[in-house]
Amino acid sequence: MKNGKDLADFAIDYGASRGASYIEARVVASRNESYAARNGVILGGGITYSNGIAIRVLANGGMGFCSTASLTKTGIENGIEEAIKLAKASKRKIPITFSEEEVVQTKWKSPVKIKFEEISIEEKQNFLIDLDKVLNKEFRFKLPTRTLLLDLYSDQKYIVTNEGSKVESENSIISAHTFNTAKGKAGGEQRMLSLGGTGGWEWIEEENVVERILEDNISLVKAARNAIEKDINQIDVVVSGEVAGIMAHENVGHPSEADRILGREGAQAGESFYIDLLENERLGEIKMGSEQVTIIDDPTQKGNSGFYLYDDECVKARPRYLIKNGMLNELFLNREYASRYNTQSNAAARAVAYTREPIIRMANTYFAPGDFTFEELIDDVKQGIYMKSFTEWNIDDRRFQSKYVGLEVYLIENGEVTDTMIRRPVLELTTYGILGSVDGVSKDFSSPHGYCGKGEPQQAAPVWLGGPHVRLKNIKLGGGNK
Amino acid sequence: MTETSDLLKFGINVAQDEKINEILAQRTKGKGYQIRFSNSMIDNSKIWSNDNIELFLAKGKKSTYLEIEAPTQAKIRSRIKDASKFLERLPESFLYNGMESNQHKYEKLDGIYDPKILDFSDKAPELVNAAIQTSLESGAKKVAGVLYFGYSKTELSTSYGNEGSFLGSYYRFTIRSFVDPDSSGQGLACSRSLSGVESEFLKAGNNAGEIAKMANGGTQGSPGKYDVLMSPTVAANVLGQVFDGLNPIKIMVGMSPLKYEHIGKQIASEEFTVTDNALLAEGLGSRPFDVEGTPKGKTPIFSEGILKGLLQNTSTSKMDKVENSGNSTFFDFGIGSKFLAPGPSNIAINGGDYTLEEIIAESKKPTIYITSNWYTRFTNMTEGIFSTIPRDGMFLIENGEIKEPVRRLRLSDNLLRICSNISAIGKNVKQIYWWEVQTPTFTPTIKVKDCTITAATQ
Repeated sequence: MKNGKDLADFAIDYGASRGASYIEARVVASRNESYAARNGVILGGGITYSNGIAIRVLANGGMGFCSTASLTKTGIENGIEEAIKLAKASKRKIPITFSEEEVVQTKWKSPVKIKFEEISIEEKQNFLIDLDKVLNKEFRFKLPTRTLLLDLYSDQKYIVTNEGSKVESENSIISAHTFNTAKGKAGGEQRMLSLGGTGGWEWIEEENVVERILEDNISLVKAARNAIEKDINQIDVVVSGEVAGIMAHENVGHPSEADRILGREGAQAGESFYIDLLENERLGEIKMGSEQVTIIDDPTQKGNSGFYLYDDECVKARPRYLIKNGMLNELFLNREYASRYNTQSNAAARAVAYTREPIIRMANTYFAPGDFTFEELIDDVKQGIYMKSFTEWNIDDRRFQSKYVGLEVYLIENGEVTDTMIRRPVLELTTYGILGSVDGVSKDFSSPHGYCGKGEPQQAAPVWLGGPHVRLKNIKLGGGNK
Repeated sequence: MTETSDLLKFGINVAQDEKINEILAQRTKGKGYQIRFSNSMIDNSKIWSNDNIELFLAKGKKSTYLEIEAPTQAKIRSRIKDASKFLERLPESFLYNGMESNQHKYEKLDGIYDPKILDFSDKAPELVNAAIQTSLESGAKKVAGVLYFGYSKTELSTSYGNEGSFLGSYYRFTIRSFVDPDSSGQGLACSRSLSGVESEFLKAGNNAGEIAKMANGGTQGSPGKYDVLMSPTVAANVLGQVFDGLNPIKIMVGMSPLKYEHIGKQIASEEFTVTDNALLAEGLGSRPFDVEGTPKGKTPIFSEGILKGLLQNTSTSKMDKVENSGNSTFFDFGIGSKFLAPGPSNIAINGGDYTLEEIIAESKKPTIYITSNWYTRFTNMTEGIFSTIPRDGMFLIENGEIKEPVRRLRLSDNLLRICSNISAIGKNVKQIYWWEVQTPTFTPTIKVKDCTITAATQ
């Protein structure tokens, strides 16, 4: 890292001397150890190291970016020259500018008790092999196809800008994934489960990972064996933190990204329906849903998979209140888009590797807990469903029309969750359809791990997406695709 | 000897000294560029200097993969020594059954490298701005998109003495035009060669603008049963989910709608003939050999609707007791370590007899014409139950004519049913590669009867 830091400092001086009005260098040294197992047999494992530098410049109002793993002064000089040349050649009518932000020189790291390197390779493989034994013992032929993955990522990063900011960080993310198929009467059900967070090897035990995976597979097997087709129409729907989390992420998080709203992702991840809303009204004045809806993104929450204290533009992170009591409150901003809105960045710039530019990303988006207990949410439901997990989901590229297909779903009758499981009910709802129908939010909370896809080239950013139980009143279920 | 072959041989020697008996070493060195644009202006121009060696090491049935960026002898020695220790402690895998052990000479593949690529960065921004202008002139109010281009030299050396190299160049251009936030159209162009690149950009820009204009004034469509006309962009994505499933490993883990019992059976319409073709001059996935050093060629996938077989590498072909199709790739599940598994090169769907206009004119039943799509996801991958979301211009065809633009619908159906319900195939085949299609796919427009279209209920 020492050589990389020196070169990053060199890059800043060199870029400034070559006419860049802004230059930022980011050195990243990462280690990724991973294993895959199928039905208890390790399919593959490996450790990959990556070490390189990314440089971003503004020149004549255009932006240029270069990256290389060849950490030499000549390589960096050539990269900067070419990035500046291309930035100038873009001939923008409106120059790119960055918001003014506080200059910082600081360090942060995610808390780790046991580093991945301290654990033997055998113990890591045995985690997957033993986990598979637990699943096989419990389910046998009911869960015939089991794919288990373990991913251990850590990095050291140094970011420096010509404005004087310098941020060093160390991060460590651990995640376990299962992709399993359960056999049942009507065919089978499949489930991709991801659990993860920032931390070290201690996470496995502290987060009861084996128990949580077992519990999830009990649900999967139950759904495959017991769920029945049932013609239900206009009902109340209570969703778990997992389902509320994906809704918070897809229906609220993504449309709140300022780069989408102002069109930068137009040809890739798309724009945002907020563009229409913000044409005539201002933040704080736009009703998005019922008063019970508050949606927050907080990168600083300890343990979350998107944890950071300073973003990749050296801006201090803080919670972002996207929707507050039903009203549109805040957008995700980096320095470029904060400048467009004539405000300050709220530290949403993230890059997943040194080969990628920092762009606006979520970190840890969730429905804020409310006042109800789970039982109170159910008490008021005459007929409804309790959707505990989901399989298929998607949403249009303006983030308005979404679909969530239930996996573990129970019928609610007269204020009680029954044992009757419903097969693959479909919530095909607009964002307003979801947020406007919320009439109760519970006190409890859960946050699954996930990867958020955005950018070009794609940047799969680790995130949490969670929430409490949320009740949606009077929902018409959508059509299936059997 | 080149610097690269020296480094690859050095790596193989170091690994052999570590008693590793099967080794693949592949170096890719080159430069990649990207110009991103939106709001009719260039947002960012990127340059990637790439130089990496990928190594696959096997000792008996134990194997591991590693990647070394900016390789030097010192790095190679140290990483291989670490990997050797790691390998010792890995268990054996039933999935690994050896690599290509026969010796081969490789034919030069013409058309996959255009030396004009070396100077292309000088004029690329100007061409992008010209395409933006063309799209604006054809009616767009704003334009977004991306241009990728670059070149690389790939060299392979294996412990069985196979050695080969090739130069490759490419460009991939996506342009999306907006008349208003809800009315958009997309144009694509990609190739290995820069011949005619300027007119390809302008054509893509013009197409995008034309579709956006046609989409203007669209209204909420009605859910129901329709015939669906998939543009090449949509066909490449939707049918691409089937082609991705030609991998025996994906079948094994439940990530494919295909099953072994489908082989030799008619599971698609008779009009449907598909080949995996690694030798197409323009193909972005063309290469003379796979990562094991097996020569690549043409592999029939569907012949008149009959599934002819899966894609194979050495290990899976031994497991399945079939011929190796030369499709070995460094594969992962999106998360986790890479290993050897088959993957497609260029998928080529044979063109049919009809022009787009003829297909539209013959569409007497209500038909939805989808020009682009994204976000394809599955309820169950083995059953092929999926949905995908149309974006950009989408049109209702009635009585042989485009009646009106429609919006906010979802194609919610089953992949196997779609294969068997193909009712017409267009004449003009186009190579598709973009954000939502990562396997180069040569495909015409494809019509499918009786599809389920859904919409939000509230």
